[in-house]
Amino acid sequence: MTSQTLNRSARIPIFIGLCVLAASIIYPVYFLAIAAFRTQLDYQENPLGLPRQWTLHNFSVVWNGYGAGPAFLRSILVVSVSTCLVLLFATFAGYSLAKLNPPGAKIITGSFVSVMLIPSQVLILPIYLLLSALGLVGSYTSLMLLYTATNLPFAVFFLTLSFRSISDDILDAAKVDGAGFFRTVGRVAVPVAIPSLATLAVLQFLGMWNELLYALILLPDDSKRLLTPALSMIGQRYVNNQPLVSAGLLIAASVPILLLTLTSRYVVEGISIGSSK
Amino acid sequence: MTSVPAASKVVGAADAAPTATSLRPTAPWRRRDRRIGLAAAAPAFIIVVGFMMYPVLYALFISFNKTDGVDFEWVWFKNYSNILTDPLVHQVFLNNVKFLISVPLVIFFSIIVSVLLFEKIRGWKTFRIIFFLPNVLSIVVIGVMFKSIFGYYGAVNSIIAAVGGNRVSFFTDGSLAIWVIVIALVWSGFGYQALLIMSGLSAIDTSVFEAAALDGAGWWRRLRWITLPNIRRELGFVFIINVLYTFTSLFGFIFVMTAGGPGYATTTVDYLVYLKAFGSENLGPGAALAVLLFLFIGLLTILQNRFFRIQGND
Repeated sequence: MTSQTLNRSARIPIFIGLCVLAASIIYPVYFLAIAAFRTQLDYQENPLGLPRQWTLHNFSVVWNGYGAGPAFLRSILVVSVSTCLVLLFATFAGYSLAKLNPPGAKIITGSFVSVMLIPSQVLILPIYLLLSALGLVGSYTSLMLLYTATNLPFAVFFLTLSFRSISDDILDAAKVDGAGFFRTVGRVAVPVAIPSLATLAVLQFLGMWNELLYALILLPDDSKRLLTPALSMIGQRYVNNQPLVSAGLLIAASVPILLLTLTSRYVVEGISIGSSK
Repeated sequence: MTSVPAASKVVGAADAAPTATSLRPTAPWRRRDRRIGLAAAAPAFIIVVGFMMYPVLYALFISFNKTDGVDFEWVWFKNYSNILTDPLVHQVFLNNVKFLISVPLVIFFSIIVSVLLFEKIRGWKTFRIIFFLPNVLSIVVIGVMFKSIFGYYGAVNSIIAAVGGNRVSFFTDGSLAIWVIVIALVWSGFGYQALLIMSGLSAIDTSVFEAAALDGAGWWRRLRWITLPNIRRELGFVFIINVLYTFTSLFGFIFVMTAGGPGYATTTVDYLVYLKAFGSENLGPGAALAVLLFLFIGLLTILQNRFFRIQGND
Protein backbone atom coordinates (compact mmCIF):
# COMPACT_ATOMS: atom_id res chain seq x y z
CA MET A 1 0.00 0.00 0.00
CA THR A 2 1.46 3.32 -0.98
CA SER A 3 -0.03 5.04 2.02
CA GLN A 4 2.54 3.32 4.19
CA THR A 5 5.23 5.23 2.35
CA LEU A 6 3.37 8.49 2.87
CA ASN A 7 4.03 10.59 5.87
CA ARG A 8 1.32 12.42 7.70
CA SER A 9 1.93 15.78 6.04
CA ALA A 10 1.66 14.27 2.55
CA ARG A 11 -1.87 13.13 3.30
CA ILE A 12 -3.17 16.64 3.69
CA PRO A 13 -2.74 17.68 0.01
CA ILE A 14 -4.31 14.38 -1.04
CA PHE A 15 -7.27 15.00 1.22
CA ILE A 16 -7.63 18.52 -0.16
CA GLY A 17 -7.39 17.26 -3.74
CA LEU A 18 -10.10 14.70 -3.09
CA CYS A 19 -12.29 17.34 -1.46
CA VAL A 20 -11.96 19.66 -4.46
CA LEU A 21 -12.88 16.87 -6.88
CA ALA A 22 -15.73 15.71 -4.68
CA ALA A 23 -17.00 19.29 -4.50
CA SER A 24 -17.07 19.45 -8.29
CA ILE A 25 -19.45 16.49 -8.20
CA ILE A 26 -21.52 17.61 -5.24
CA TYR A 27 -21.88 21.32 -5.95
CA PRO A 28 -24.02 21.12 -9.12
CA VAL A 29 -26.30 18.60 -7.42
CA TYR A 30 -26.47 20.75 -4.31
CA PHE A 31 -27.19 23.88 -6.35
CA LEU A 32 -30.16 22.28 -8.07
CA ALA A 33 -31.42 20.64 -4.90
CA ILE A 34 -31.54 24.04 -3.22
CA ALA A 35 -33.15 25.65 -6.26
CA ALA A 36 -35.97 23.13 -6.15
CA PHE A 37 -37.10 24.46 -2.77
CA ARG A 38 -37.42 28.14 -3.71
CA THR A 39 -39.73 30.31 -5.77
CA GLN A 40 -38.85 31.46 -9.27
CA LEU A 41 -38.67 35.09 -8.07
CA ASP A 42 -36.40 34.24 -5.18
CA TYR A 43 -34.14 32.25 -7.52
CA GLN A 44 -33.85 35.06 -10.05
CA GLU A 45 -32.95 37.63 -7.43
CA ASN A 46 -30.20 35.63 -5.83
CA PRO A 47 -29.52 32.31 -7.58
CA LEU A 48 -26.23 31.56 -5.84
CA GLY A 49 -27.30 32.27 -2.26
CA LEU A 50 -29.57 30.35 0.06
CA PRO A 51 -33.33 30.78 -0.38
CA ARG A 52 -35.02 33.30 1.88
CA GLN A 53 -38.07 31.13 2.06
CA TRP A 54 -38.31 27.39 1.59
CA THR A 55 -41.27 26.01 -0.35
CA LEU A 56 -42.57 22.69 -1.63
CA HIS A 57 -44.63 24.45 -4.27
CA ASN A 58 -42.40 23.35 -7.20
CA PHE A 59 -42.74 19.71 -6.28
CA SER A 60 -46.51 19.82 -6.18
CA VAL A 61 -46.61 21.67 -9.52
CA VAL A 62 -44.30 19.19 -11.25
CA TRP A 63 -45.84 16.15 -9.55
CA ASN A 64 -49.48 17.04 -10.25
CA GLY A 65 -49.47 19.70 -12.94
CA TYR A 66 -46.82 18.38 -15.30
CA GLY A 67 -47.48 14.70 -14.85
CA ALA A 68 -44.25 13.72 -13.08
CA GLY A 69 -46.22 11.97 -10.33
CA PRO A 70 -48.14 9.51 -12.49
CA ALA A 71 -45.02 9.06 -14.65
CA PHE A 72 -43.06 8.20 -11.50
CA LEU A 73 -45.60 5.52 -10.56
CA ARG A 74 -45.68 4.14 -14.11
CA SER A 75 -41.88 3.95 -14.12
CA ILE A 76 -41.89 2.09 -10.82
CA LEU A 77 -44.39 -0.40 -12.23
CA VAL A 78 -42.72 -1.00 -15.61
CA VAL A 79 -39.18 -1.14 -14.21
CA SER A 80 -40.09 -3.42 -11.28
CA VAL A 81 -41.94 -5.91 -13.48
CA SER A 82 -39.11 -5.90 -16.03
CA THR A 83 -36.48 -6.36 -13.34
CA CYS A 84 -38.40 -9.35 -11.92
CA LEU A 85 -38.73 -10.88 -15.39
CA VAL A 86 -35.01 -10.43 -16.07
CA LEU A 87 -34.08 -12.00 -12.74
CA LEU A 88 -36.48 -14.91 -13.24
CA PHE A 89 -35.37 -15.83 -16.76
CA ALA A 90 -31.72 -15.09 -16.05
CA THR A 91 -31.76 -17.31 -12.94
CA PHE A 92 -33.10 -20.27 -14.90
CA ALA A 93 -30.81 -19.72 -17.88
CA GLY A 94 -27.78 -18.88 -15.75
CA TYR A 95 -28.25 -21.95 -13.55
CA SER A 96 -28.74 -24.14 -16.58
CA LEU A 97 -25.63 -22.85 -18.36
CA ALA A 98 -23.54 -23.05 -15.19
CA LYS A 99 -24.59 -26.50 -13.99
CA LEU A 100 -26.73 -28.50 -16.39
CA ASN A 101 -24.67 -28.39 -19.60
CA PRO A 102 -27.69 -28.20 -21.93
CA PRO A 103 -27.31 -29.20 -25.59
CA GLY A 104 -26.24 -26.18 -27.62
CA ALA A 105 -24.82 -24.40 -24.55
CA LYS A 106 -22.05 -22.92 -26.65
CA ILE A 107 -24.47 -21.46 -29.17
CA ILE A 108 -26.67 -20.02 -26.42
CA THR A 109 -23.73 -18.45 -24.57
CA GLY A 110 -22.21 -17.21 -27.81
CA SER A 111 -25.38 -15.48 -28.90
CA PHE A 112 -25.86 -13.84 -25.49
CA VAL A 113 -22.31 -12.48 -25.60
CA SER A 114 -22.58 -11.24 -29.19
CA VAL A 115 -25.89 -9.39 -28.73
CA MET A 116 -24.41 -7.45 -25.81
CA LEU A 117 -22.55 -5.39 -28.44
CA ILE A 118 -25.70 -4.23 -30.21
CA PRO A 119 -26.22 -0.51 -29.64
CA SER A 120 -29.81 0.50 -28.97
CA GLN A 121 -29.83 2.81 -32.03
CA VAL A 122 -29.60 -0.24 -34.28
CA LEU A 123 -32.61 -1.85 -32.63
CA ILE A 124 -35.07 1.03 -32.47
CA LEU A 125 -36.17 1.06 -36.09
CA PRO A 126 -36.77 -2.68 -36.61
CA ILE A 127 -38.27 -3.04 -33.12
CA TYR A 128 -40.64 -0.17 -33.79
CA LEU A 129 -41.73 -1.62 -37.14
CA LEU A 130 -42.18 -5.13 -35.75
CA LEU A 131 -44.13 -3.98 -32.72
CA SER A 132 -46.33 -1.65 -34.73
CA ALA A 133 -47.09 -4.53 -37.10
CA LEU A 134 -48.22 -6.47 -34.03
CA GLY A 135 -50.14 -3.43 -32.75
CA LEU A 136 -48.04 -3.37 -29.59
CA VAL A 137 -46.56 0.13 -29.82
CA GLY A 138 -47.89 2.19 -26.95
CA SER A 139 -48.37 -0.76 -24.62
CA TYR A 140 -46.48 -1.32 -21.39
CA THR A 141 -46.07 -4.98 -22.37
CA SER A 142 -43.92 -4.13 -25.37
CA LEU A 143 -41.57 -1.98 -23.32
CA MET A 144 -41.34 -4.57 -20.53
CA LEU A 145 -40.50 -7.28 -23.06
CA LEU A 146 -37.89 -5.10 -24.72
CA TYR A 147 -36.29 -4.16 -21.40
CA THR A 148 -36.26 -7.82 -20.43
CA ALA A 149 -34.64 -8.80 -23.73
CA THR A 150 -31.98 -6.09 -23.77
CA ASN A 151 -30.97 -6.71 -20.15
CA LEU A 152 -31.04 -10.49 -20.21
CA PRO A 153 -27.68 -11.15 -21.93
CA PHE A 154 -25.66 -9.38 -19.26
CA ALA A 155 -27.82 -10.81 -16.47
CA VAL A 156 -27.39 -14.38 -17.69
CA PHE A 157 -23.65 -13.87 -18.09
CA PHE A 158 -23.38 -12.40 -14.58
CA LEU A 159 -25.46 -15.13 -12.91
CA THR A 160 -23.74 -17.96 -14.79
CA LEU A 161 -20.50 -16.84 -13.16
CA SER A 162 -22.09 -16.76 -9.69
CA PHE A 163 -23.88 -20.10 -10.00
CA ARG A 164 -20.72 -21.76 -11.24
CA SER A 165 -19.13 -21.21 -7.84
CA ILE A 166 -21.79 -23.30 -6.07
CA SER A 167 -20.33 -26.63 -5.11
CA ASP A 168 -21.69 -29.60 -7.02
CA ASP A 169 -21.87 -31.64 -3.82
CA ILE A 170 -24.64 -29.44 -2.43
CA LEU A 171 -26.62 -29.75 -5.65
CA ASP A 172 -26.17 -33.50 -5.71
CA ALA A 173 -27.24 -33.74 -2.09
CA ALA A 174 -30.42 -31.88 -3.02
CA LYS A 175 -30.97 -34.31 -5.84
CA VAL A 176 -30.51 -37.28 -3.54
CA ASP A 177 -33.20 -35.78 -1.35
CA GLY A 178 -35.48 -35.89 -4.38
CA ALA A 179 -35.48 -32.17 -5.20
CA GLY A 180 -36.47 -31.41 -8.80
CA PHE A 181 -35.23 -28.53 -10.90
CA PHE A 182 -37.40 -25.81 -9.36
CA ARG A 183 -36.71 -26.89 -5.80
CA THR A 184 -32.97 -27.12 -6.43
CA VAL A 185 -32.89 -23.65 -7.95
CA GLY A 186 -35.28 -22.11 -5.44
CA ARG A 187 -34.01 -23.70 -2.23
CA VAL A 188 -30.32 -24.25 -2.94
CA ALA A 189 -28.95 -22.15 -5.79
CA VAL A 190 -30.81 -18.87 -5.24
CA PRO A 191 -30.12 -18.58 -1.48
CA VAL A 192 -26.40 -19.07 -2.12
CA ALA A 193 -26.39 -16.44 -4.88
CA ILE A 194 -28.41 -13.78 -3.01
CA PRO A 195 -25.58 -11.17 -3.02
CA SER A 196 -25.14 -11.53 -6.80
CA LEU A 197 -28.88 -11.39 -7.34
CA ALA A 198 -29.15 -8.24 -5.22
CA THR A 199 -26.33 -6.55 -7.12
CA LEU A 200 -27.89 -7.53 -10.40
CA ALA A 201 -31.35 -6.37 -9.37
CA VAL A 202 -30.05 -2.94 -8.38
CA LEU A 203 -28.00 -2.56 -11.56
CA GLN A 204 -30.87 -3.60 -13.81
CA PHE A 205 -33.37 -1.43 -11.98
CA LEU A 206 -31.10 1.61 -12.31
CA GLY A 207 -30.39 0.94 -15.96
CA MET A 208 -34.06 0.71 -16.86
CA TRP A 209 -35.10 3.58 -14.64
CA ASN A 210 -32.61 5.82 -16.45
CA GLU A 211 -33.32 4.55 -19.96
CA LEU A 212 -34.57 7.12 -22.46
CA LEU A 213 -34.66 5.95 -26.07
CA TYR A 214 -36.92 2.89 -25.93
CA ALA A 215 -39.27 4.48 -23.41
CA LEU A 216 -39.55 7.55 -25.60
CA ILE A 217 -40.36 5.63 -28.77
CA LEU A 218 -42.49 2.77 -27.50
CA LEU A 219 -44.69 4.84 -25.18
CA PRO A 220 -45.24 8.03 -27.21
CA ASP A 221 -48.53 8.95 -25.50
CA ASP A 222 -48.37 11.62 -22.83
CA SER A 223 -50.84 9.58 -20.82
CA LYS A 224 -48.44 6.62 -20.62
CA ARG A 225 -45.05 8.35 -20.54
CA LEU A 226 -42.45 7.11 -18.10
CA LEU A 227 -40.51 9.42 -15.82
CA THR A 228 -37.18 9.75 -17.69
CA PRO A 229 -38.77 10.79 -21.02
CA ALA A 230 -41.28 12.96 -19.15
CA LEU A 231 -38.39 14.76 -17.46
CA SER A 232 -36.66 15.34 -20.80
CA MET A 233 -39.88 17.03 -21.99
CA ILE A 234 -40.14 19.15 -18.85
CA GLY A 235 -36.49 20.11 -19.22
CA GLN A 236 -37.04 21.23 -22.80
CA ARG A 237 -40.24 23.18 -22.23
CA TYR A 238 -39.52 24.96 -18.98
CA VAL A 239 -35.77 25.47 -19.24
CA ASN A 240 -35.99 29.01 -17.88
CA ASN A 241 -37.92 28.01 -14.81
CA GLN A 242 -34.97 26.61 -12.92
CA PRO A 243 -36.77 25.83 -9.65
CA LEU A 244 -39.46 23.85 -11.46
CA VAL A 245 -36.98 21.87 -13.57
CA SER A 246 -34.86 21.25 -10.46
CA ALA A 247 -37.83 19.76 -8.66
CA GLY A 248 -38.36 17.41 -11.61
CA LEU A 249 -34.68 16.47 -11.56
CA LEU A 250 -34.81 15.69 -7.85
CA ILE A 251 -37.88 13.49 -8.30
CA ALA A 252 -36.17 11.53 -11.09
CA ALA A 253 -32.85 11.31 -9.24
CA SER A 254 -34.40 10.40 -5.88
CA VAL A 255 -34.70 6.68 -6.60
CA PRO A 256 -31.13 6.20 -7.92
CA ILE A 257 -29.67 8.27 -5.09
CA LEU A 258 -31.68 6.32 -2.52
CA LEU A 259 -30.57 3.02 -4.04
CA LEU A 260 -26.94 4.16 -4.12
CA THR A 261 -26.92 5.16 -0.46
CA LEU A 262 -28.72 2.02 0.69
CA THR A 263 -26.76 -0.47 -1.42
CA SER A 264 -23.55 1.39 -2.21
CA ARG A 265 -21.39 -1.64 -1.57
CA TYR A 266 -23.30 -3.85 -4.01
CA VAL A 267 -23.65 -1.18 -6.68
CA VAL A 268 -20.12 0.17 -6.63
CA GLU A 269 -18.55 -3.26 -6.71
CA GLY A 270 -21.11 -4.77 -9.06
CA ILE A 271 -20.57 -2.16 -11.71
CA SER A 272 -16.82 -2.49 -11.47
CA ILE A 273 -17.11 -6.24 -12.00
CA GLY A 274 -19.65 -5.98 -14.78
CA SER A 275 -17.76 -3.61 -17.00
CA SER A 276 -14.32 -5.11 -16.68
CA LYS A 277 -15.66 -8.12 -18.58
CA MET B 1 -15.18 -30.47 -13.53
CA THR B 2 -17.23 -33.35 -14.94
CA SER B 3 -15.68 -36.22 -13.04
CA VAL B 4 -16.86 -35.24 -9.56
CA PRO B 5 -20.54 -34.77 -10.38
CA ALA B 6 -20.51 -37.90 -12.50
CA ALA B 7 -19.19 -39.91 -9.57
CA SER B 8 -21.65 -38.49 -7.09
CA LYS B 9 -24.49 -38.92 -9.54
CA VAL B 10 -23.83 -42.63 -9.47
CA VAL B 11 -24.58 -42.51 -5.77
CA GLY B 12 -27.72 -40.45 -6.39
CA ALA B 13 -28.92 -42.80 -9.09
CA ALA B 14 -28.21 -45.82 -7.00
CA ASP B 15 -30.39 -44.50 -4.20
CA ALA B 16 -33.28 -43.48 -6.37
CA ALA B 17 -33.42 -46.24 -8.95
CA PRO B 18 -31.44 -49.28 -7.93
CA THR B 19 -32.63 -51.46 -10.80
CA ALA B 20 -31.44 -49.15 -13.58
CA THR B 21 -28.01 -48.40 -12.17
CA SER B 22 -26.53 -51.78 -12.88
CA LEU B 23 -26.81 -51.24 -16.62
CA ARG B 24 -26.33 -47.51 -17.29
CA PRO B 25 -25.37 -45.78 -14.06
CA THR B 26 -25.15 -42.15 -15.14
CA ALA B 27 -26.65 -41.71 -18.58
CA PRO B 28 -30.40 -41.31 -17.80
CA TRP B 29 -29.72 -38.79 -15.05
CA ARG B 30 -27.39 -36.75 -17.17
CA ARG B 31 -29.57 -36.79 -20.22
CA ARG B 32 -32.61 -35.71 -18.23
CA ASP B 33 -30.59 -32.95 -16.59
CA ARG B 34 -29.48 -31.65 -19.95
CA ARG B 35 -33.03 -31.65 -21.29
CA ILE B 36 -34.23 -29.75 -18.23
CA GLY B 37 -31.29 -27.39 -18.73
CA LEU B 38 -32.34 -26.69 -22.29
CA ALA B 39 -35.90 -26.01 -21.19
CA ALA B 40 -34.62 -23.66 -18.48
CA ALA B 41 -32.39 -21.69 -20.83
CA ALA B 42 -34.97 -21.62 -23.62
CA PRO B 43 -37.20 -18.71 -22.45
CA ALA B 44 -34.23 -16.34 -22.11
CA PHE B 45 -32.81 -17.50 -25.42
CA ILE B 46 -36.13 -17.09 -27.26
CA ILE B 47 -36.66 -13.58 -25.87
CA VAL B 48 -33.15 -12.53 -26.85
CA VAL B 49 -33.46 -14.04 -30.33
CA GLY B 50 -36.88 -12.50 -30.87
CA PHE B 51 -36.12 -9.04 -29.55
CA MET B 52 -32.46 -8.63 -30.45
CA MET B 53 -31.10 -11.01 -33.07
CA TYR B 54 -34.12 -11.05 -35.33
CA PRO B 55 -34.48 -7.22 -35.26
CA VAL B 56 -30.81 -6.78 -36.16
CA LEU B 57 -31.27 -9.05 -39.18
CA TYR B 58 -34.44 -7.15 -40.01
CA ALA B 59 -32.50 -3.86 -39.83
CA LEU B 60 -29.96 -5.37 -42.22
CA PHE B 61 -32.81 -6.29 -44.58
CA ILE B 62 -34.33 -2.78 -44.37
CA SER B 63 -30.95 -1.24 -45.16
CA PHE B 64 -31.05 -2.85 -48.63
CA ASN B 65 -34.55 -1.56 -49.36
CA LYS B 66 -36.37 1.60 -50.25
CA THR B 67 -39.28 1.42 -47.84
CA ASP B 68 -41.80 3.38 -45.84
CA GLY B 69 -42.22 0.44 -43.49
CA VAL B 70 -45.06 -1.11 -45.50
CA ASP B 71 -43.86 -1.50 -49.09
CA PHE B 72 -40.36 -2.75 -49.73
CA GLU B 73 -38.30 -2.29 -52.87
CA TRP B 74 -34.88 -3.98 -53.02
CA VAL B 75 -32.25 -1.43 -54.02
CA TRP B 76 -28.99 -3.26 -53.19
CA PHE B 77 -26.32 -0.87 -51.87
CA LYS B 78 -28.01 2.36 -52.90
CA ASN B 79 -28.78 3.37 -49.28
CA TYR B 80 -25.18 2.73 -48.30
CA SER B 81 -23.78 4.79 -51.16
CA ASN B 82 -26.26 7.56 -50.31
CA ILE B 83 -25.15 7.55 -46.68
CA LEU B 84 -21.44 7.41 -47.46
CA THR B 85 -21.65 10.34 -49.89
CA ASP B 86 -24.06 12.43 -47.82
CA PRO B 87 -22.30 15.66 -46.71
CA LEU B 88 -24.53 15.76 -43.62
CA VAL B 89 -23.24 12.34 -42.54
CA HIS B 90 -19.66 13.58 -43.00
CA GLN B 91 -20.38 16.65 -40.90
CA VAL B 92 -22.02 14.57 -38.20
CA PHE B 93 -19.11 12.13 -38.14
CA LEU B 94 -16.77 15.09 -37.69
CA ASN B 95 -18.94 16.25 -34.79
CA ASN B 96 -18.37 12.86 -33.16
CA VAL B 97 -14.65 13.31 -33.69
CA LYS B 98 -14.88 16.69 -31.92
CA PHE B 99 -16.51 14.98 -28.94
CA LEU B 100 -13.41 12.79 -28.67
CA ILE B 101 -11.78 15.73 -26.88
CA SER B 102 -13.62 14.40 -23.82
CA VAL B 103 -11.58 11.17 -23.88
CA PRO B 104 -8.20 12.54 -22.71
CA LEU B 105 -9.99 14.80 -20.22
CA VAL B 106 -11.93 11.93 -18.66
CA ILE B 107 -8.78 9.81 -18.50
CA PHE B 108 -6.79 12.65 -16.94
CA PHE B 109 -9.32 13.19 -14.16
CA SER B 110 -9.80 9.44 -13.66
CA ILE B 111 -6.09 8.97 -13.10
CA ILE B 112 -5.98 11.80 -10.58
CA VAL B 113 -8.98 10.47 -8.68
CA SER B 114 -7.77 6.87 -8.70
CA VAL B 115 -4.25 7.73 -7.59
CA LEU B 116 -5.57 9.96 -4.81
CA LEU B 117 -8.18 7.41 -3.71
CA PHE B 118 -5.62 4.65 -3.80
CA GLU B 119 -3.68 6.27 -0.99
CA LYS B 120 -6.65 5.07 1.10
CA ILE B 121 -6.61 8.03 3.41
CA ARG B 122 -9.33 8.23 6.03
CA GLY B 123 -12.79 8.46 4.48
CA TRP B 124 -11.79 7.16 1.05
CA LYS B 125 -14.88 4.96 0.91
CA THR B 126 -17.14 7.98 1.30
CA PHE B 127 -15.24 9.75 -1.47
CA ARG B 128 -15.66 6.67 -3.61
CA ILE B 129 -19.46 6.80 -3.24
CA ILE B 130 -19.49 10.54 -4.05
CA PHE B 131 -17.44 9.99 -7.21
CA PHE B 132 -19.78 7.20 -8.14
CA LEU B 133 -22.89 9.36 -7.85
CA PRO B 134 -23.08 10.61 -11.48
CA ASN B 135 -22.95 7.03 -12.64
CA VAL B 136 -26.32 6.15 -11.12
CA LEU B 137 -28.04 9.23 -12.50
CA SER B 138 -29.82 9.14 -15.82
CA ILE B 139 -28.16 10.84 -18.77
CA VAL B 140 -31.41 12.79 -18.97
CA VAL B 141 -31.00 14.05 -15.42
CA ILE B 142 -27.36 15.00 -16.04
CA GLY B 143 -28.22 16.56 -19.41
CA VAL B 144 -31.07 18.67 -18.05
CA MET B 145 -28.87 19.59 -15.09
CA PHE B 146 -26.08 20.94 -17.29
CA LYS B 147 -28.55 22.55 -19.62
CA SER B 148 -30.01 24.55 -16.75
CA ILE B 149 -26.65 25.28 -15.14
CA PHE B 150 -25.34 26.66 -18.46
CA GLY B 151 -28.71 28.20 -19.37
CA TYR B 152 -29.17 31.92 -19.86
CA TYR B 153 -30.35 32.34 -16.26
CA GLY B 154 -28.36 29.41 -14.92
CA ALA B 155 -25.63 29.23 -12.31
CA VAL B 156 -22.71 29.83 -14.66
CA ASN B 157 -24.28 32.93 -16.16
CA SER B 158 -25.20 34.15 -12.69
CA ILE B 159 -21.54 33.93 -11.71
CA ILE B 160 -20.52 35.70 -14.94
CA ALA B 161 -23.08 38.43 -14.26
CA ALA B 162 -22.03 38.71 -10.63
CA VAL B 163 -18.43 39.45 -11.60
CA GLY B 164 -19.62 42.00 -14.14
CA GLY B 165 -19.47 40.05 -17.40
CA ASN B 166 -22.10 39.68 -20.09
CA ARG B 167 -24.33 36.63 -20.04
CA VAL B 168 -23.30 34.02 -22.61
CA SER B 169 -25.81 32.07 -24.63
CA PHE B 170 -24.03 28.71 -24.59
CA PHE B 171 -26.43 26.74 -26.76
CA THR B 172 -26.70 29.04 -29.78
CA ASP B 173 -23.02 28.66 -30.63
CA GLY B 174 -22.12 25.19 -31.93
CA SER B 175 -18.62 24.95 -30.48
CA LEU B 176 -19.66 26.32 -27.08
CA ALA B 177 -22.52 23.81 -27.01
CA ILE B 178 -20.07 21.00 -27.75
CA TRP B 179 -17.90 22.17 -24.85
CA VAL B 180 -20.85 22.14 -22.48
CA ILE B 181 -21.69 18.58 -23.52
CA VAL B 182 -18.03 17.61 -23.16
CA ILE B 183 -18.02 19.03 -19.63
CA ALA B 184 -21.15 17.02 -18.86
CA LEU B 185 -19.46 13.91 -20.28
CA VAL B 186 -16.34 14.39 -18.19
CA TRP B 187 -18.38 15.16 -15.07
CA SER B 188 -20.47 12.05 -15.45
CA GLY B 189 -17.66 9.72 -16.51
CA PHE B 190 -14.52 10.24 -14.50
CA GLY B 191 -15.60 8.83 -11.14
CA TYR B 192 -16.66 5.47 -12.46
CA GLN B 193 -13.60 5.12 -14.64
CA ALA B 194 -11.40 6.00 -11.72
CA LEU B 195 -12.81 2.88 -10.03
CA LEU B 196 -11.85 0.81 -13.08
CA ILE B 197 -8.32 2.19 -12.93
CA MET B 198 -8.20 1.51 -9.21
CA SER B 199 -8.69 -2.18 -9.85
CA GLY B 200 -5.48 -2.02 -11.87
CA LEU B 201 -3.69 -0.15 -9.10
CA SER B 202 -4.68 -2.79 -6.57
CA ALA B 203 -2.94 -5.42 -8.65
CA ILE B 204 0.45 -3.71 -8.47
CA ASP B 205 2.90 -5.49 -6.21
CA THR B 206 3.29 -3.20 -3.20
CA SER B 207 6.86 -4.32 -2.53
CA VAL B 208 7.88 -2.49 -5.73
CA PHE B 209 6.67 0.75 -4.18
CA GLU B 210 8.42 0.06 -0.94
CA ALA B 211 11.68 -0.77 -2.69
CA ALA B 212 11.44 2.41 -4.76
CA ALA B 213 10.70 4.45 -1.67
CA LEU B 214 13.73 2.98 0.09
CA ASP B 215 15.83 3.92 -2.93
CA GLY B 216 14.70 7.48 -2.38
CA ALA B 217 12.20 7.78 -5.25
CA GLY B 218 9.70 10.51 -4.43
CA TRP B 219 5.93 10.32 -4.85
CA TRP B 220 6.00 11.86 -8.33
CA ARG B 221 8.76 9.62 -9.61
CA ARG B 222 6.94 6.54 -8.31
CA LEU B 223 3.81 7.73 -10.07
CA ARG B 224 5.63 8.27 -13.34
CA TRP B 225 7.83 5.17 -13.40
CA ILE B 226 5.87 2.56 -11.46
CA THR B 227 2.19 3.41 -11.21
CA LEU B 228 1.40 4.59 -14.73
CA PRO B 229 3.31 1.86 -16.62
CA ASN B 230 1.59 -0.77 -14.49
CA ILE B 231 -1.93 0.38 -15.26
CA ARG B 232 -1.52 0.73 -19.02
CA ARG B 233 -3.94 -2.16 -19.59
CA GLU B 234 -6.68 -0.40 -17.63
CA LEU B 235 -5.85 2.88 -19.35
CA GLY B 236 -6.19 1.16 -22.72
CA PHE B 237 -9.53 -0.29 -21.71
CA VAL B 238 -10.80 3.05 -20.42
CA PHE B 239 -9.62 4.71 -23.63
CA ILE B 240 -11.56 2.28 -25.83
CA ILE B 241 -14.80 2.40 -23.83
CA ASN B 242 -14.68 6.20 -23.95
CA VAL B 243 -14.27 6.19 -27.71
CA LEU B 244 -17.13 3.71 -28.03
CA TYR B 245 -19.18 5.86 -25.68
CA THR B 246 -18.80 9.00 -27.82
CA PHE B 247 -20.14 7.09 -30.82
CA THR B 248 -23.07 5.28 -29.20
CA SER B 249 -24.23 6.97 -26.04
CA LEU B 250 -24.44 10.68 -26.68
CA PHE B 251 -28.07 10.41 -27.78
CA GLY B 252 -29.51 11.29 -24.36
CA PHE B 253 -27.28 14.33 -23.88
CA ILE B 254 -27.97 15.65 -27.38
CA PHE B 255 -31.68 14.97 -27.11
CA VAL B 256 -32.20 16.96 -23.92
CA MET B 257 -29.49 19.62 -24.27
CA THR B 258 -29.39 20.81 -27.88
CA ALA B 259 -31.67 18.57 -30.01
CA GLY B 260 -28.69 18.44 -32.39
CA GLY B 261 -28.58 22.17 -32.93
CA PRO B 262 -27.84 24.90 -33.67
CA GLY B 263 -28.27 23.61 -37.21
CA TYR B 264 -26.56 20.23 -37.11
CA ALA B 265 -23.60 21.52 -35.09
CA THR B 266 -24.06 19.04 -32.23
CA THR B 267 -25.77 16.21 -34.10
CA THR B 268 -23.89 12.95 -33.57
CA VAL B 269 -24.12 9.71 -35.51
CA ASP B 270 -26.41 8.03 -32.99
CA TYR B 271 -28.69 11.05 -32.89
CA LEU B 272 -28.78 11.13 -36.69
CA VAL B 273 -29.88 7.48 -36.73
CA TYR B 274 -32.82 8.48 -34.55
CA LEU B 275 -33.64 11.52 -36.76
CA LYS B 276 -33.49 9.45 -39.92
CA ALA B 277 -35.52 6.59 -38.45
CA PHE B 278 -38.37 8.78 -37.20
CA GLY B 279 -38.18 11.80 -39.44
CA SER B 280 -37.98 10.58 -43.00
CA GLU B 281 -40.18 8.88 -45.59
CA ASN B 282 -37.60 6.33 -46.66
CA LEU B 283 -36.38 4.20 -43.75
CA GLY B 284 -33.58 2.54 -45.76
CA PRO B 285 -30.80 5.12 -45.28
CA GLY B 286 -31.42 5.31 -41.53
CA ALA B 287 -31.14 1.54 -41.27
CA ALA B 288 -27.98 1.63 -43.42
CA LEU B 289 -26.46 4.23 -41.10
CA ALA B 290 -27.38 2.10 -38.06
CA VAL B 291 -25.75 -0.95 -39.64
CA LEU B 292 -22.60 1.04 -40.43
CA LEU B 293 -22.49 2.30 -36.84
CA PHE B 294 -22.83 -1.28 -35.60
CA LEU B 295 -19.99 -2.43 -37.88
CA PHE B 296 -17.81 0.43 -36.69
CA ILE B 297 -18.43 -0.50 -33.06
CA GLY B 298 -17.75 -4.15 -33.81
CA LEU B 299 -14.45 -3.17 -35.42
CA LEU B 300 -13.44 -1.08 -32.39
CA THR B 301 -14.31 -3.96 -30.09
CA ILE B 302 -12.23 -6.41 -32.12
CA LEU B 303 -9.33 -3.95 -32.03
CA GLN B 304 -9.80 -3.70 -28.28
CA ASN B 305 -9.63 -7.48 -27.88
CA ARG B 306 -6.55 -7.71 -30.08
CA PHE B 307 -4.93 -4.90 -28.11
CA PHE B 308 -5.55 -6.69 -24.83
CA ARG B 309 -4.20 -9.97 -26.10
CA ILE B 310 -0.94 -8.29 -27.12
CA GLN B 311 -0.78 -6.50 -23.80
CA GLY B 312 -1.47 -9.71 -21.94
CA ASN B 313 1.44 -11.49 -23.61
CA ASP B 314 4.20 -9.11 -22.67
